Amino acid sequence: MRLSNWRHFDFWLLGAVSILIIFSIAMIDSAIAGNIELVENNTLGRQILFAGAGFIVIALVTILDYHVWITIGRVLYVIVGGFLAFIAVGGETAFGAARWLDVGFALVQPSELAKITVVIIAADFFAHNQDKIAKFLTVIRSAILPFGLVFFVIIQPDLSTSIVLLVIWGALLFASGLRLQHILIFLGLGTVLPFISWPFLEDYQKQRVAQFIFPDETARFGEEYNVLQSQITVGSGGLTGQGYRQGSQVQLRFLKVRHSDFIFSAIAEEFGFIGSVIIILILFFIIFRILRAAQLSYDTFGSMICYGIATLIAFQTVVNIGMNLTLLPVTGLPLPFISQGGSSLISLMLGIGLVESVIARHKVLEF
Amino acid sequence: MKNEQSWRFQMLGIGFFVIAAILILQTIRIQLSPESETFVSLAEGIYAGEEIEVLPPRGQIYDRKENLLAGNKTVYEIGVDLQFIDPTKGARDISMTLSTVLGLDFNEVMNIVSTPYSPAVAYLPIARSIPSDLALELLSQVADSRNAQTEGNDDYLRLHGLDFRPSLERRYPEQDLGSSVLGFMTQYNQSFYGVEQYYNSLLAGIPQKYWIPFDPNRVYELPDIPSGASLVLTIDREIQAMVENTIDEAKEKYDASSATVIVMEPKTGEILAMASTPRLNLNEYWLFDELYPTPKNADDPPVPYNRAISQSFEPGSVFKIFTMAAALDNGTVERDTIFFDPGYYKVGGITINNWDGLAYSEQDMVGCMRYSLNVCLAWIGSEMGADSFYDYMNAFGFGHVTGVDITGEVTGRLKEPGDDDWWPADLGTNTFGQGVSVTPIQIMQAVSALANEGRMVVPHVLKAFVDNGSQIPTHVQYAGSPISKETAENITDILAYSLEKEASNALVDGYRIAGKTGTAEIPTKYGYTREITNASFVGWGPTDDPQFIVYVWIEEPSATPNSIWGSKTAAPVFSQIVERLVVLMDLPPDQVRLSLKEN
Repeated sequence: MRLSNWRHFDFWLLGAVSILIIFSIAMIDSAIAGNIELVENNTLGRQILFAGAGFIVIALVTILDYHVWITIGRVLYVIVGGFLAFIAVGGETAFGAARWLDVGFALVQPSELAKITVVIIAADFFAHNQDKIAKFLTVIRSAILPFGLVFFVIIQPDLSTSIVLLVIWGALLFASGLRLQHILIFLGLGTVLPFISWPFLEDYQKQRVAQFIFPDETARFGEEYNVLQSQITVGSGGLTGQGYRQGSQVQLRFLKVRHSDFIFSAIAEEFGFIGSVIIILILFFIIFRILRAAQLSYDTFGSMICYGIATLIAFQTVVNIGMNLTLLPVTGLPLPFISQGGSSLISLMLGIGLVESVIARHKVLEF
Repeated sequence: MKNEQSWRFQMLGIGFFVIAAILILQTIRIQLSPESETFVSLAEGIYAGEEIEVLPPRGQIYDRKENLLAGNKTVYEIGVDLQFIDPTKGARDISMTLSTVLGLDFNEVMNIVSTPYSPAVAYLPIARSIPSDLALELLSQVADSRNAQTEGNDDYLRLHGLDFRPSLERRYPEQDLGSSVLGFMTQYNQSFYGVEQYYNSLLAGIPQKYWIPFDPNRVYELPDIPSGASLVLTIDREIQAMVENTIDEAKEKYDASSATVIVMEPKTGEILAMASTPRLNLNEYWLFDELYPTPKNADDPPVPYNRAISQSFEPGSVFKIFTMAAALDNGTVERDTIFFDPGYYKVGGITINNWDGLAYSEQDMVGCMRYSLNVCLAWIGSEMGADSFYDYMNAFGFGHVTGVDITGEVTGRLKEPGDDDWWPADLGTNTFGQGVSVTPIQIMQAVSALANEGRMVVPHVLKAFVDNGSQIPTHVQYAGSPISKETAENITDILAYSLEKEASNALVDGYRIAGKTGTAEIPTKYGYTREITNASFVGWGPTDDPQFIVYVWIEEPSATPNSIWGSKTAAPVFSQIVERLVVLMDLPPDQVRLSLKEN
């Protein structure tokens, strides 16, 4: 199918994404001010570069018929799977987990690409097997490919990304018409799994969970400190915030990883309640625009892709903001479009490109 | 199938909507609820900045001619930030550099530097009081290694983590000069003894607290901290040095256990010199324990840091001048009163004898003082009566601190009627300085009444203090007038005359001196012993217009059998000191002065 015109291109979606990205760059600039290492590494410049590349990716992917991604997805699957396997053996370790792969010009985080890959692979599978979804065997088969990636992500170890992959798979499974009794089986599994897996968790993962359940008010460093600081940071924002580049928590580096995992706290401090609610609303606006695309899509593959990407963005948004607002334990999931990090931004923008590709073609059959 | 999918999409949409609502509600809870105030106050409080206390530079100490006696010098504490030490070669390179430049033991430094980093142990000090030239040398090595690193040269010393903390350290340029008056500061900024301790709050100034925001964008100002007040002492560096040299020689010459001298202006109470042995090099205050050891026997008295104010003892015959002054003042005797000395006197059940056990028959008061007749003085005491005698001794300040502005003064002991351990016999022995204990500074104060027309001055060492650029002088303080002007002149003349008659060793060519020797047997467990004495002399002059009082006290002189006597040891030392003192004070001989006055 050719892209006949740009009439159906979702400018609202692109606009919302653009606003977030521009805002993100301003916010990262504020958050890394005073940290010589981050400034000297040209963190901001590289983020701008990634954002620029991301818009090109959106344009290219939009032009391309999303059905070619059935093929590309399989290639991607092999590449990403290879990368993940390689990292599991010899990746660079940062903050206790090996997640980065040095490809010369940049450190690539293959687990970010894995998220998009699972969306495409699973969407493809469910699009073709929707009619057989009532059979439990189909459910099992649908799990084979995603679980291949989940395995390598878990042994990195990167629990939160593997949960994201499982959630995407689960959401698509649900959307393609999973039977109620099967849903109950998965709910049961979901309840039991955390307890079974507890002995296999890494120490820092256990600490995060333990500290979330039993907070230690006096901690001055470590995970507990980050959480307390993020709460203070968000709290000190008040209604209108302390102003751009004026947040003391942000500028004084009490808040750790304030340019990535805790950037929402930084926003909340500098732009206050109004600013943070606007960010939440824009993020959910994007999610609803994607869900709209899912419903308008002329084929199941298209809607499954949109659905998967909506889930990806929604889940990361909820987990990240929930963590910033001390509703959830600390995880390494970025805030979509806003947290600093090239791999995450590029893969999400690739996802937006896919959605645009779906929406731009949805009226084609009406001619 | 499409419909099936549709409700699932809608469910999802509703789910997302609910989640968004929860997130916004939580934002409201944290940011807008009453609870949020605590977060705001936390952010503006402990996390927004810190309060630091800045100690002002300590005030300096000068002598009366503004020679520096105590000042401050920048020194460095050198330590390591364990977090930043190069894990491969850092510990070795730092230890090697420090042992080369500072002469520290390589292994000891290595031990410190190899301590693993933890948030609780992030910084460790290695060396303190490093002078700035050595610190600068180290700093330049650190700079060299940085340069080598930026140039990409891999062969450089890993000195990351070396930390330099400057501070001001107390320095005493005159080493041990006036050590007992000055006192000293330790590296922990504590002051001990002398004016350092007495005037600590003045010298230290007021520590200022400042709130420093962590936020680099917030403007703040570190105001100039006014340094502590500087002190100008009444001590004269030259006189002090001369006195110290003299007593060191005397201690050696007479094989004494120690020697103490005070030189004071009788009209103002300004102490020109105060010296005793041993003296401490104030820049090496840690040798304190060697010079002033804590006695092994708990009953033994500790070795006093400043004998002139902290050691009380039986003054002996020196005390006779106060008895005589009191008796002349209340009219019990006059200069010409004749006393018949039978060689003994009974008082309170004991018999008093003269120092040589002889009888001196008819003597006027000049003779009593000249021959230092115990019998005569005991008789005078009885004639005066206990009440009157002790009233006078109290008025002279015995049994009380003088209030001299040096830390460590003790009171001595004057037993009085009514005290449990006072017996009538004490009146007899007290009159010639036995059974009473005094400090040298009390003698100085009491003598000032005799040398200053009956008005007693409070001895002091602070001439002025300099605060905020202005010099604030101290004023003369009087401690009462125990005797009249006439009595003061009378006793001064009696003493001067008797010295001349005796042809005392204390006399100084060209200057008329009044004074009195003292030879006090030191009471021991076995009573008084002849062989161990406190030999002393107090004198003042010129007698018509006294400019100085000098007190010499030589403890346990033992060079020859003769040197136990005050007249043989303390008196010549007094003479020696005054001969040099008049030069340093620019005092012309009496004849020259008086002839100038007449013209």
